[in-house]
Amino acid sequence: MDEQALIAGVRAGEPQAERQLYDQHVDRVYRLAYRMAGDEELARDFTQDAFIRAFEKIDQFRGEAALATWLRSIAVSVILNGLRKVKRFRQREVGLDAAGAQGGNPRRAEPDLKEKLRGAIDALPDNYRMVFVMHDVEGYTHQEISEALGMQLGTSKAQLSRARAKLRESLAEFAGEWAS
Amino acid sequence: MTEEKFQEFLREAAQDYHRPPEPPRADMWQAIRAARQAAEAERARRAWRWRRGVFRSPVVRWGVGVAAALVIGIGIGRLMPRGAETQLAGGPDAEPAVETTGPSAAYQFAANEHLGRVEMFLTAFRVDARTGRPVSDSPDQARQLLSTTRLLLDSPASDDSQLRTLLEDIELVLVQISQFAGPEDDEELDLIDDSLERRSVLLRLQTALTGQAGLAGVQGVL
Repeated sequence: MDEQALIAGVRAGEPQAERQLYDQHVDRVYRLAYRMAGDEELARDFTQDAFIRAFEKIDQFRGEAALATWLRSIAVSVILNGLRKVKRFRQREVGLDAAGAQGGNPRRAEPDLKEKLRGAIDALPDNYRMVFVMHDVEGYTHQEISEALGMQLGTSKAQLSRARAKLRESLAEFAGEWAS
Repeated sequence: MTEEKFQEFLREAAQDYHRPPEPPRADMWQAIRAARQAAEAERARRAWRWRRGVFRSPVVRWGVGVAAALVIGIGIGRLMPRGAETQLAGGPDAEPAVETTGPSAAYQFAANEHLGRVEMFLTAFRVDARTGRPVSDSPDQARQLLSTTRLLLDSPASDDSQLRTLLEDIELVLVQISQFAGPEDDEELDLIDDSLERRSVLLRLQTALTGQAGLAGVQGVL
């Protein structure tokens, strides 16, 4: 089934067409969701939500971009909105925990490079993190990223550059690792 | 040079960042289908509530009720053999009849007929789908039955809350079957089975039909 027929099928509510669209794109959507969420449950929820929205909004798909691009923009929006909600929820929880905690700081082992890198990526603002993950981890082009995030190509490049700069700063103590 | 090296290092090291496991494709698909079917049933219910709003006016309610009763009554009358008509009209030997006239009786009659058809359809569908027989026309049949189900739900004469709940559950199952792709779609079939089982639709259908035995007797006379 070519893309036009597939879209027509989904519009007509044909389960086979919906399944085919899902099968074609689910892996990439899930990968991105998992990379951003770092949690199976959340990645699953974001992926499901992205497809449910796509099926509901298929009538709004004008065909100006490829279906994959349109679907990716829905997925990115679902992921970023979902992460915002999770962050708000976790902040409230942390606030409550902090209020209840009486003990001193637990001793923590010095993090190794991997841990430090993970922490540094986690600490990036979500938009920067999305651009970094899409480009440097998942291999999307700036064109694809800018379309998915609804931004200028230059903005995508600038955000990636800032994200890298922040990471470099955070990993300064490990400079020997890449300089050698 | 150092910047290039750093970027290269970063790209390589970041591959371990939240490395995704194998996606749970089947589970997610099942959840998506279930959510969409629930949304579809909810939309149908909302549409029904909206249409019901039109019937809130007593004048409209009575007008439509009388018109529906007339239409069904005329339909029944045309199907009746001449002798039975006289019998129902009440000859000198006629027994005091159970109330079998008016909008409520006509509605019960139509509902009973419909429930019988739905029961036959669901039983046949279940057997055919599980044994791999072709069920290609099932979605069409489900859509037809769905229309009648919604008509019955819309009717102002539908004041039996038990019947209404049963019709709403039948509506959900019929929506699922109307979107059924074929026996190879195992997950969908499981969902339909699950709806039938969880809501005990077939059992309740059979109970409702048995409960209508009195009316079935009237049907026999008719």
